[in-house]
Amino acid sequence: MTPKNNIVIGIIVGLVIIASYNVEANPLEFAEGLPNLGIVLEEILVLENIIDNMKYVPTALWAMLETLQMAFIGTVIGVVIGLPFSMLAARNLNNKFIYAPIRALLAIIRTFPSILWAMLFVIVVGLGPFAGVLAIILYTIGFVTKLQYESIETIDSDPMDAVSSIGVSKFQLIRYVVIPESASHLLGQMLYMFDYNVRQSTILGIVGAGGIGFFVVQYIKFFEYGKVAVFMFVVLMVVLGIDWASVKIRDKYIIKSQHGVEVLAK
Amino acid sequence: MKQIQMIKNPPFSLISTNKIIQMSDVSTSYDSRNFALEKINLSIDRGTNYAIVGQSGSGKSTLLKLMNGMMIPSNGTIKIDYITPNMNNKKFKKMMHTIGYIPQSLGLVKNITVLDNILIGALPRLNKIQSFFKKFPEHEITEAKRIISLVGLTGKENRKAYMLSGGEKRRVAIARALMQKPTILLADEIVSELDHVTAKEIMNLVADAQKRMNLTAIMVHHDMQLALEYANRVAVIKEGHKILEIGVEGDTIVDFQTGDLNTEEIMGMYADDTKK
Ligand SMILES: Nc1ncnc2c1ncn2[C@@H]1O[C@H](COP(=O)(O)OP(=O)(O)O)[C@@H](O)[C@H]1O
Ligand SMILES: [Mg+2]
Repeated sequence: MTPKNNIVIGIIVGLVIIASYNVEANPLEFAEGLPNLGIVLEEILVLENIIDNMKYVPTALWAMLETLQMAFIGTVIGVVIGLPFSMLAARNLNNKFIYAPIRALLAIIRTFPSILWAMLFVIVVGLGPFAGVLAIILYTIGFVTKLQYESIETIDSDPMDAVSSIGVSKFQLIRYVVIPESASHLLGQMLYMFDYNVRQSTILGIVGAGGIGFFVVQYIKFFEYGKVAVFMFVVLMVVLGIDWASVKIRDKYIIKSQHGVEVLAK
Repeated sequence: MKQIQMIKNPPFSLISTNKIIQMSDVSTSYDSRNFALEKINLSIDRGTNYAIVGQSGSGKSTLLKLMNGMMIPSNGTIKIDYITPNMNNKKFKKMMHTIGYIPQSLGLVKNITVLDNILIGALPRLNKIQSFFKKFPEHEITEAKRIISLVGLTGKENRKAYMLSGGEKRRVAIARALMQKPTILLADEIVSELDHVTAKEIMNLVADAQKRMNLTAIMVHHDMQLALEYANRVAVIKEGHKILEIGVEGDTIVDFQTGDLNTEEIMGMYADDTKK
């Protein structure tokens, strides 16, 4: 361990202490408050309460379905709109007068989490899932485009050069080289984005932008922790299910070729 | 063993007026300090099977990239079929459609099939709607199938490019170039990494196509033997300079004494390459 490393570690520890003080982080308070969680759990885990709360499962599933649909529409439309943007933002396809402003715009979109966009869209289109969908579309555009232009920039330049030398149009180059060469990444990115958007959609309800989060927030307000538990359990199951399905889809459609490059199976 | 004949002034029959490629005093560099090529003069007759030979790093690939406009010289002039290469020139862009270029790495699109790779050669002949929907006209598909059988890939049309062997990949790259209906075929060391038998097959394939379609083929090798066996003309590049240009007519090698080498050095060079 060099003295320089010690200084760096010292600085980091110092910053953590200062920041903790500023956010009023107090381990004692945490320890004292922990029993409150016990009280809540006790209420939730009583058998008759569980049975009683089971009648909210259909509502929870219905709300989760809405959440999934928001995430699904948002992902598909976001990717469809984002794809052309990623072609414009890729440095190996355009000059900086095109890619630089597009990248700046996308960076701005990504700067705000989708819940902030959702608040804005609630103002625009009113309460409800549509505001949430718009927020997810926007965030997906910002995010998936970055993933996509980064993978376009890692495409092998050899086929690009060889095909450009035929004198094809830029559109043809994109259609016949860039998209096939980055398609395997795109599928993975869509799955990742959907997964991410499902999680995001569960909290958009907090600002009234639809989905299961709306119910959860209401129940927390009224201290109905049993119902909260039912809804959270449904979220947990669905998210785990999607994780599992993503892995299956990846295994089935994205295989590694003998050169270790990701390629699309049939 | 070939005979070597040295001539200072080539006979009139060797001078043609139909030059498809002309370079005069061409220099180019990747960075500001070193020239990758310096003061290259060469002219290639239409229909020639031309070979460029030289050690690795001598500037062969660079020379080829100047011939399809992928690189622009920093000094000197180039004419391809009497047009100066320039991507922004409509006339030259049109000419690029018929310059088949096979880079050292072949440049195949890995994730698509053999047929789709070959059809890329026909893209300049598609209109916008056809290219959007990947709708190649029936006669283009027939032509692609004909070329597939010509290069010996029948039955492998639907195989993904990344699944092919080295020899098969080269056949696909050649087929894509032939699909362009080329007048010039540029090939960069496409047989260097192959075993002897496969290399010969590929060379014969190109030589046949070259003769049948009256192409101008310009092939880079680093093996002098291959060049002497297939080409009518061979230029030798060393450290960015053309040091030798010879004609091959049957068993006779005609040295045009373009470089500053004396007889012994030239003889030494051939002997050196025969040993390999
Ligand atoms: N993209 C590049 N950037 C910088 N230098 C290059 C590049 N490509 C080639 N060179 C240099 O130019 C010279 C000629 O290279 P090249 O034409 O590829 O030679 P060859 O094909 O005969 O092996 C070499 O010195 C090489 O290092
Ligand atoms: Mg080379």
